[in-house]
Amino acid sequence: MTPGLQTTNRVDRSRSHRVLRWLLVRLGGAAFVLWAVATLTFFAIRLIPGDPAEAVLGGPGSQASQETLDQVRRDYGLDLPLGVQYLNALGRLLTGDLGTSYALKVPVADLLSAQLGGTLILAFSALLVAWASALALSLWSTGGGRIAGSVGQAIELTAAALPHFWLATVLIAIFSSALGWLPPVSTGGVLGLILPTVTLAIPLAGFLAQVMRETMLDTLDAPFIVSARARGESEGGIRLRHALRHASLPAISLSGWALGYLISGAVVVETIFARPGLGRTLLQAVTLRDVPIVTGVVLLVALVYIVMTILTDAASRLADPRLRTAEGER
Amino acid sequence: MHSPSRRPARRALTAIAAASGLALLLTGCQPATESASSTPVAGGTLTYASGDAEPTCLDPHVGGNYPQALLAGQFLDSLVSRNSEGEIIPWLATKWSVSDDGLTWDFTLKDDVSFTDGTPFDADAVKVNVEHLKDPATESSTGYLALGKVESVTAISDTVAQFTLNAPDSALLESLSMPWLAIESPAGIARGMEENCQAPIGTGPFVVDDWVKQDHVSLVRNEDYNSPPADAQHDGKAYLEAIEWRFIPDSASRYAALQAGQVDILDNAQPDTIAAAEKTTTLAHIDAPRPGASNRIELNAGAAPFNDPAVREAFIRAVDVNDGIESLFFGSAKRSYSPLSSAESVGYSDESLFTTDLDAANALLDTAGWTARDADGFRVKDGERLTLDFPVSTNQSIPAEQSLFEQIQATAKQAGFDVQLSLLDLSSWYGVLAENDYDLVSAPYTKVGPDVLRILYHSDGIVPAPSGYFANLSQVSDPQLDDLLTRASEISDDAERADLYEQAQKIILEGFHILPLYDQQNHFLLGTQVKGARSLPTVSTPTFYDTWLANN
Repeated sequence: MTPGLQTTNRVDRSRSHRVLRWLLVRLGGAAFVLWAVATLTFFAIRLIPGDPAEAVLGGPGSQASQETLDQVRRDYGLDLPLGVQYLNALGRLLTGDLGTSYALKVPVADLLSAQLGGTLILAFSALLVAWASALALSLWSTGGGRIAGSVGQAIELTAAALPHFWLATVLIAIFSSALGWLPPVSTGGVLGLILPTVTLAIPLAGFLAQVMRETMLDTLDAPFIVSARARGESEGGIRLRHALRHASLPAISLSGWALGYLISGAVVVETIFARPGLGRTLLQAVTLRDVPIVTGVVLLVALVYIVMTILTDAASRLADPRLRTAEGER
Repeated sequence: MHSPSRRPARRALTAIAAASGLALLLTGCQPATESASSTPVAGGTLTYASGDAEPTCLDPHVGGNYPQALLAGQFLDSLVSRNSEGEIIPWLATKWSVSDDGLTWDFTLKDDVSFTDGTPFDADAVKVNVEHLKDPATESSTGYLALGKVESVTAISDTVAQFTLNAPDSALLESLSMPWLAIESPAGIARGMEENCQAPIGTGPFVVDDWVKQDHVSLVRNEDYNSPPADAQHDGKAYLEAIEWRFIPDSASRYAALQAGQVDILDNAQPDTIAAAEKTTTLAHIDAPRPGASNRIELNAGAAPFNDPAVREAFIRAVDVNDGIESLFFGSAKRSYSPLSSAESVGYSDESLFTTDLDAANALLDTAGWTARDADGFRVKDGERLTLDFPVSTNQSIPAEQSLFEQIQATAKQAGFDVQLSLLDLSSWYGVLAENDYDLVSAPYTKVGPDVLRILYHSDGIVPAPSGYFANLSQVSDPQLDDLLTRASEISDDAERADLYEQAQKIILEGFHILPLYDQQNHFLLGTQVKGARSLPTVSTPTFYDTWLANN
């Protein structure tokens, strides 16, 4: 860092400039991502077979008459050239209008606001459980000797490789059918949240624990740990106070990605556990070619992902002072 | 520090132990809880788990598919119903008569029935419903087609509704018995599509209270109900206070929820869960095949190679269907040899046409000029391989059926057929059919009565609707068959009608246009505490009017 000789005032200003610039770059990036997502979705859903006008008319295989089809195409602007349709859709999105569902005939915004809560609760509880298990697992596997290390590694690898649908089925078979402890399908209460949360959390915990353990092992060999040991710090203290902070850094920055991963996992988990949410809404909308809902869900998920990325970025900057200074020199 | 570490390991061990014992535990028996009395008890909420798609609109006039029919039967009544012998019986209409020319039908209606919004049920209401179904703005598909011959309805008096037809229609009563043509409150319809889709208003035993999307529909009892169909077991209001209608798409979770007592009854039971349930004493099984057509593989005669009847016969002789059905459906599906469902009394079967005979198949293909074989063992003619495209809808073919198609693929290979299965989602599947890009296809079709044969096998059915959809997927085009089907659809005499349909079915079967598999499967599993549940003999949807819960 160069401005070592300048006054405190100038340092403050240049720091706030850097924060502002960081924020502007993020927001610009976010706007670009949202535009790209909207554009890609718009064209992608028209590349797969199926006529959106049929979504209006009760799904594929409709036997609607020509006049009904024409009427629907006019009403929904589906008779216009694709470019015009795209600009219209973009114009509506800019004013914050997500449109009306073709199949359900209700505003997309209402539908999504009703479904977002369920998915976010599921995703965040899974993230929390995954974080806690990954932390516990990596602390144990790095501190418990060679056997703990390899057992930990095996658990991580296995957990990370488990597919959600398999895990869900096995968990239901064990905890609902065999033991009768937990309800197999959602109840609206906390009990019904446990199995879906665990299903989503186990593979994620495997990923996070792998990253944490590797960083932790690297860090434990670092010179400042050696000096901490030399100062007579206890082994537990070293790992909790020093190594853990380092080990959590990559995991923090992975959390943005993790949330995206969890929301996509929600498609499977919500379906199996019969939970209302964005995942199930998306699945139904794609099957029916309900373009407004698909666009709405994809944009919303992109938005959640962007917000999460900005938050994890900010959290990394808080946890790691090196990031705050390095940015100014770029 | 070490205590949390052991927990995952222990959990994993428990999981392994439990998973290995799973098969035993899943089928494990619990002591039966027999109810002491067989007198119906009023009260309680029945929880229903539907594995069908969640409807996008609860009004069965709009579109018109099976998921809508499942629900509509709980809150809507129809003009007529059908009994288990296949005879049309009174429901909202007490009697009916038809003019000699078959063009005028008079329906006499019950005179003391009201919709749950207070609107009286009368001849005007019937007129409004028919007009609603025929209005393009309603976006009706199933109901619209079924009323194709109905010109108009006139209210002769409050209790007599007169239907005027443009051609005689021997299927009119069967059409009117279907839930897609059920009667709704005119005031409810007048609210407009958005509101009517959320909660249609009928005269039925239950009322739509609330619909939470992706989750459930709440139905509450209609306290003033007085219009059950003629074959109901009691009068007055339903026994159940309410029905919670849940959407649980995954078959295994649905069954687990039934075992755990979270739900009382489920639909779309899969062969493996049916087999498991039949080993218990706490679960019962209702097998209610859907009416109309059987589940069958259509052979597209509209293009090569199946435009050659010998190649069609060779395919049917080559494939082994029975072993596959036996092993994959655990005895829950019975082999069919008819184009019609066993629910249709005029169904005609001919088992002798479908015996597997590989030698005969090979001989037929040799004679048809498919003499050479390529390196992979598939037959070739003029440099073209004997390839059969078989698009499969993952929405309509259950996993057991998809496996059956794989077995058919394997046995057809022995005769030199290269069957190309492609699993598609519903929109893509309809897209492939609309482009005529298939040789084999299995497409269920539910309709009350044998008139389904006209829809599926009349050459008019090859002309696509504007959406590209067409029903005659085997692309049979036979003037003699067309004539039989048209005459059968207009004739009033039941015996003559049955005879015409038998001749038509013979032509379809003997022309090797279809490979019948089994009835369109429709299985319900329920806890033994659920008494008096049955499926309506119209489109085999469950009805809970006579249902009560023991030990509630």
